[in-house]
Amino acid sequence: MIKVLKIFLLFLLALFNAIFLLFGIYLIRNAYYEIGIVLLSALILIDFFIFNPKAYPYRYTIPALIFLFLLVLYPIYFTIKTAFTNFGTGHIFTKEEAIERLLYDPNYTYILEEKPIKFKIFSVFKDQQPTDDFLIIFEIDKKYYVGGVPLPSKQRGREILLREERLVKIEDKNFKLNGRFFEISPYPFNLSNIDLISTSDKVYKSLYMLEDPELEKNLSFFTLIIQKYLIQTEYIEGETGKILGVKVDNDGRWKFFFIDRLYRLSYEDIREDGKIKTKLVIVNTKTKKPIIEEKGSFFDQDEKGNKIFLIGYTAFIGFENFSRILTDEQISGPFFRVFLWTVLWSLFTVLFSFSVGLSFALILNNKKLKFRNIYRTLLIIPWAIPYFISVLTWRNGIFNETYGILNKIILPFLGIEPIKWFNDPFWAKVICLTVNTWLTFPYMMTVSLGALQGIPDELYEVAAIDGAGKWNRFWYITFPLLLTVVAPLLISSFAYTFNNFTLIYLLTAGGPPMVGATTPAGHTDILISYVYKLAFEGRGQEFGFASAIAILIFFLVAGISLINFKLSGAFEEIRGEQ
Amino acid sequence: MRRGLIILALTLSLIVFSLTSAQATKITIWCSEKQVDILQRLGEEFKAKYGVAVEVQYVEFGSIKPNFLTAAPQGKGADIIVGAHDWVGELVVNGLLEPIPEFKDIKQFYETSLKAFSYGGKLYGLPYAMEAIALIYNKDYVKTPPLTMESLITTAKRINTAYKGKVKGFVTSAAEFYYVAPVIFGYGGYVFKDTPAGLDVSDIGLANPGAVKGVKLWKRLVDEGLLSPGDNYQIMDSLFKEGKAAMIINGPWAVKAYKDAGVNYGVSVIPNLEAKVPAKPFVGVQGFMVNSKSPNKVLVREFLISFISTKDTMYKIYLADPRIPSRKDVLALVKDNPDIVGFTKSASNGIPMPNVPEMAAVWGAMNDALNLVVNGKATPEDALNNAVKTIKAQIKK
Repeated sequence: MIKVLKIFLLFLLALFNAIFLLFGIYLIRNAYYEIGIVLLSALILIDFFIFNPKAYPYRYTIPALIFLFLLVLYPIYFTIKTAFTNFGTGHIFTKEEAIERLLYDPNYTYILEEKPIKFKIFSVFKDQQPTDDFLIIFEIDKKYYVGGVPLPSKQRGREILLREERLVKIEDKNFKLNGRFFEISPYPFNLSNIDLISTSDKVYKSLYMLEDPELEKNLSFFTLIIQKYLIQTEYIEGETGKILGVKVDNDGRWKFFFIDRLYRLSYEDIREDGKIKTKLVIVNTKTKKPIIEEKGSFFDQDEKGNKIFLIGYTAFIGFENFSRILTDEQISGPFFRVFLWTVLWSLFTVLFSFSVGLSFALILNNKKLKFRNIYRTLLIIPWAIPYFISVLTWRNGIFNETYGILNKIILPFLGIEPIKWFNDPFWAKVICLTVNTWLTFPYMMTVSLGALQGIPDELYEVAAIDGAGKWNRFWYITFPLLLTVVAPLLISSFAYTFNNFTLIYLLTAGGPPMVGATTPAGHTDILISYVYKLAFEGRGQEFGFASAIAILIFFLVAGISLINFKLSGAFEEIRGEQ
Repeated sequence: MRRGLIILALTLSLIVFSLTSAQATKITIWCSEKQVDILQRLGEEFKAKYGVAVEVQYVEFGSIKPNFLTAAPQGKGADIIVGAHDWVGELVVNGLLEPIPEFKDIKQFYETSLKAFSYGGKLYGLPYAMEAIALIYNKDYVKTPPLTMESLITTAKRINTAYKGKVKGFVTSAAEFYYVAPVIFGYGGYVFKDTPAGLDVSDIGLANPGAVKGVKLWKRLVDEGLLSPGDNYQIMDSLFKEGKAAMIINGPWAVKAYKDAGVNYGVSVIPNLEAKVPAKPFVGVQGFMVNSKSPNKVLVREFLISFISTKDTMYKIYLADPRIPSRKDVLALVKDNPDIVGFTKSASNGIPMPNVPEMAAVWGAMNDALNLVVNGKATPEDALNNAVKTIKAQIKK
């Protein structure tokens, strides 16, 4: 039985190895070198730990280490890496890919002569069905040229970018193509009557010709051949070097034309720093102008010298994202106001939710209180209800300026003028704090309840004997002891609130707008929501810029937390107790 | 050691096994609407003819573009996505869409719908439906829909007094650019100047005299007590559904819910701003777009042109999802649907929503400006000028 289990486990391990290995190879082949290498080294480590008896203890920590790496360290590394690039809308490809697209994509070709070239395609039939083995004959100026299945000449991984084939002129009944001899019948021929091309072991029969209605039935197979081979193919006419390529004509049918590539590599003399240098550049073959490369984008130029954006790639741009935050006045202008509000918002949220939570905890901690469990359950509800529901209820049900319960019923009943909750900066901030206090006090209450239960009753008894009142007992026993446990949680709650994007976005979306600001800053925008608006609601998505700001915010939060820890002495106290 | 060798052998055999299992070519479509069935059926016809399977995957509308943006650069993702024309700019700038070459029936499609899907002079989508907001009214309160803003105001006021606030005469999203656009464009405002080479994003017409005049008219609706600054989409939608609103401005997507709620509704063109000055709403166009990194582009084009662009298919798509067809001969077939007639009239005055990525900067800035105006915090001139400044700063880079 144990043997069966062992074999099963070995099989599982093999499966695991296979999957990881395949995945790692796949990642590396697709240019995700870092994570691919990490994955493969993790795999080697795992196998080593399993098979080497000395490494047994590590068996149990390795899954944790791997997850730490994948879920924590790698994202951090990736964020830092991205912060130094222009990754974002218009810059998502690698440079190689962008260049390959310009040089080999069938869209970047143009027709030289409007007149289509007549052609007929032949294929080896197997069980009455056409196959991929084909020959193609072109009629150019009453002369005939033949080509076969074109061979790949440019590849990227398994993807074929370009195929090239030199055409052979037919001057006789027999011709030689790629080392094989073929015979045409009948001979002499024209495109419509030719029906057989034979070679030593196989026969090619007519497959498709544009002008032949009989062969129209094979159009779908011809389309498949275009997809598989012809769309990336350049047939080169041997004598003149002209290129034949397949294109959709105005009537929507596929035809062959003399074409040329729009962009080709060429050595050009370019003036740089006053000197003339010969450089390899991409040139537009129509206008003969080299294309411009600027900040990770390629531009073509029209006759007037206007730049036309072609394609962009992810480029390393150094500290540009960081310097933009500091130097661009559009961004740094409202930055201080937003930062101040962010700090206040985090501070007050923690303060309010802790006071409310602690008050409830003290009440619930009273053992004379009946139905404590019911109250506790009820008080946890705000925490248990999904954010999205409770925030929308607050926004539309309670604070809505026209139909909300406050403005519609409660305030008129009290004889107070309705308040423009979301359009008055002060009240909008009040709303944010109120709602967030409501959402977070159950957490503080739960935490405090736990901490209160950890305070030994003897302390209170001794204090009572010494004549300490309720207030003194709370102030000199409960509160300091509670704080040693809760302080680190308060600081982490502060850091969490500092970056609480969801709440702000759902509740006020940062509004009301600041009058006169030229960036989309609002009075209740916190740093992270402001950054979101800058990075993702401007011109598409700017991941590089957003990463740079994320790093900056990390240092801000880390700095503030560090100061907090130092001031509150949170960690020392715990150490001191032990 | 021996165990290690066993593992090695097993691992290798598994790898060989997984590498040899060939991947079959197939065309995948991401689509969010009710056309899934009809596309599935077309896919089977396509498979019979070309031997290539078509797989239609249901993806929620809001997820199609983000998913596509993530998957397509890696050479993954659907070969065809069905979505809105205003995605085109961002996707083309990213190099993810394939231009659609000329085809025979192209003249059968409305110029507006083709223009909406064009970017830099090339067509990037096959349109199938158009939509624009229109005046939707409750026939229990409004017998004949108003044809000018003046008469809309008097009708709405009459209802407001007659029902003592229990029924609102007119309600719509008060500070949302999409819903205010018809009055801005009607008087000559524009987002980006339309030039033969495409939209000129450096020329913004959202603070020109026409735009200001339009926003002033809108402010009048607030000042006369018809619109409240807090009116938003959800409020308009639920009031109309409950029969507590007489007239709203909303789009075709909402109509089914009103029908289901039993509201006796009608659809009419948005009232003229003045005599002979029609309101011009944004026109949104839905269509099929092709992944530029699809390995099957030739077949995908074949599927789009020979199977989807046909009159027959377009009519079936209309039946599954009744919106204004963008093919002329299909629109002629459905003229007996009064909703379609109302929305078509409204759309025929409209202008396609700009599909350039810079549009993303416009929404926030304009919503903020309108917010300030309807709340009386800024004059239309100041708010709009500032909005244009914000937009320019945002798209400058």
